[in-house]
Amino acid sequence: MLKQMPTSLKMANRTFLFFWVFLAAFPFFWMFLISFRSPVDAFSFPPKLFAPVTLEHFYTVWIVDGFWRQALNTTVITLGTLTVSLTIGCLAGYGLSRYRGSMGFWILIIALVFRAMPHVVMLVAYKPAFWAMGIWNRYETLIIVLVAINQPFTIWMLRSFFVNIPEELDQAALVDGCNRVQTFVKVIMPVMWPGVITTGLFSFLLAYNDFLISSQLMSGDHMTMTAALSNYIFSDDSLAKLMHGVAGAVSITIPLIFLVLFFQKYIVSGLTHGAVKG
Amino acid sequence: MAGIKMVNVKKQYPNGFVAIESMNLDIPDKEFVVLVGPSGCAKSTALKMIAGLEEITAGEMYIGDRLVNDVPPKDREIAMVFQSYALYPHMTIYDNIAFGLKMRKTPKEEIDKLVKEASEILGMADLLDRKPRQLSGGQRQRVALGRAIVRHPQVFLFDEPLSNLDAKLRVKMRTELKQLHQRLQTTVIYVTHDQVEAMTMGSTIVVLKLGQIQQVGSPLELYSFPANRFVAGFIGSPSMNFLDCTIAEENGATYVDTGAFKVELPADKAAKVREHGGREFIFGIRPEDMRKRREKQENYSEAHVHARINVIEPLGKEMYVNMTADGLDFMGIINARFQLAPQEDIELTFNMDRAHLFEKDGDNRSVAHTAKNATSLEDARLAESVDDD
Ligand SMILES: Nc1ncnc2c1ncn2[C@@H]1O[C@H](COP(=O)(O)OP(=O)(O)OP(=O)(O)O)[C@@H](O)[C@H]1O
Ligand SMILES: [Mg+2]
Repeated sequence: MLKQMPTSLKMANRTFLFFWVFLAAFPFFWMFLISFRSPVDAFSFPPKLFAPVTLEHFYTVWIVDGFWRQALNTTVITLGTLTVSLTIGCLAGYGLSRYRGSMGFWILIIALVFRAMPHVVMLVAYKPAFWAMGIWNRYETLIIVLVAINQPFTIWMLRSFFVNIPEELDQAALVDGCNRVQTFVKVIMPVMWPGVITTGLFSFLLAYNDFLISSQLMSGDHMTMTAALSNYIFSDDSLAKLMHGVAGAVSITIPLIFLVLFFQKYIVSGLTHGAVKG
Repeated sequence: MAGIKMVNVKKQYPNGFVAIESMNLDIPDKEFVVLVGPSGCAKSTALKMIAGLEEITAGEMYIGDRLVNDVPPKDREIAMVFQSYALYPHMTIYDNIAFGLKMRKTPKEEIDKLVKEASEILGMADLLDRKPRQLSGGQRQRVALGRAIVRHPQVFLFDEPLSNLDAKLRVKMRTELKQLHQRLQTTVIYVTHDQVEAMTMGSTIVVLKLGQIQQVGSPLELYSFPANRFVAGFIGSPSMNFLDCTIAEENGATYVDTGAFKVELPADKAAKVREHGGREFIFGIRPEDMRKRREKQENYSEAHVHARINVIEPLGKEMYVNMTADGLDFMGIINARFQLAPQEDIELTFNMDRAHLFEKDGDNRSVAHTAKNATSLEDARLAESVDDD
């Protein structure tokens, strides 16, 4: 048994953690709070904890400025990227985890090199080509680029989850009458889903939060939320505009909080508990 | 139903390690064959090659008359119990056992009947809707067993299927498996590293060491006529005593001289030694082939040895006695009715008809073993206990 911590140390720990969380979370909390206020209240000095609540910024941003359109774009882009990179990632990760030759190692190293490149390098390479082909400002194009950026990571991560599933599980399925595809679908994937969720969450965040690539490749009707948000901040210095930006930022953040809260319990669960001896 | 034939089968793992150099084995249809050997001797590797789960590097593998080198596992009609169980963690016990039947499109009522039957045999009918993680190690092993025995394959492959059960359950399961074999008349290949299990289960035993077959034979053959020192030491418990020795000829008789004692070889063994021509051998005698000396003439070739007792392990009916003769340690089994104490001297009689000689170098091949006409083990024991009373 571990020895109990002395009470004083426990208190010190808690105080420190409390302050740390407060410091880290405060900007978000404040942003959330003032997004429901008129500019006068929002930026009053000294700051007020309570002020009349208004939804006018959200109304302007979502309805008048058409933020719903950008939200839709982001949804399409994110789900597209997620689907493609998880599908390829699962197939490749499974293959690489079971493959015993030496080529697998080099594929993974190459993937790592691509992962290590700054994203802007890809952009420099892709953009003129897309321009020449006339395929920029399209969902598919952005999805392809985001998948390209994301794929090395998903392959690595999914592979390490697959490696943790003992090969004898595949073998048991093969003996029980499955072919390779059935083994993958009926036995391995059902065991894998905590890995898929964890990896999926990271891929989701990458696509959802991407600004660099989407702001360069998409414009007008096809703009994503992050790109649109930057317009509010850079356009001019009017307080009203800034408040719209704040409302937009809150709108982007809220889904993320729910997403992480919802999936957190799956992220850490054990993959194959009970499959083998032990 | 089908036999299995391996012709010059080789297994090299991708990392370059050669687990099996060249294996030749012919297992007739309906046999119960036990593969036995110490850890790492490629028992599991051999099973997995039969199942089609490990690629065969070279050679030919037949199930029945069919060459199966390139046949995928699902078309080989085998059922297997994995050493690590390999249960499907996301399925209930029922579904784990039923999975193989479902994949083979067995009708639902039939599956239900078979699963119930198997779970009855395994004594886990009330665990069917649990998940594997909610079971103990022994229960998991029984599920792994159940997954195999619901099926009616050509060949059963069992990889240490009873290793994690308690002693009582293990004995019960041994009987169940034997009955299953008699009922289904299916070829069974059973892997274990426990020689007692091998002796009690198998009609044929294959002894492996470092991927090489040492000997194939019935339990009694292996016990009485081991092909080399490894088999002699592996089969039988407690294990055979081995003592380095030289051969000496005096007055027309042939003697084995271990340095600690000198015993005369019976004529048949002396002839074998002369035929071989060597001078240095390893003398082997099983603990059960020696007894405390008595006045009466035995009905076998005797040799007498003085020793000092080190340790006594009483087992009830008999005792294991560890002794030293001039610095050489060996073990004997002595009837428990004798009053013995550590540090006492004891005079022993060796049954030289059941003594063994092995070559000193190379593979330690057997030069002389139990005489063909030697009273069988059971007879000798019976005779002894009658005399003793
Ligand atoms: N995938 C692998 N790659 C390389 N070597 C392997 C692999 N699997 C097994 N081996 C080696 O092959 C040899 C035989 O292994 P195997 O698992 O067949 O032994 P075993 O007789 O079943 O042992 P145990 O009684 O411990 O189960 C061992 O030396 C092992 O290290
Ligand atoms: Mg093994």
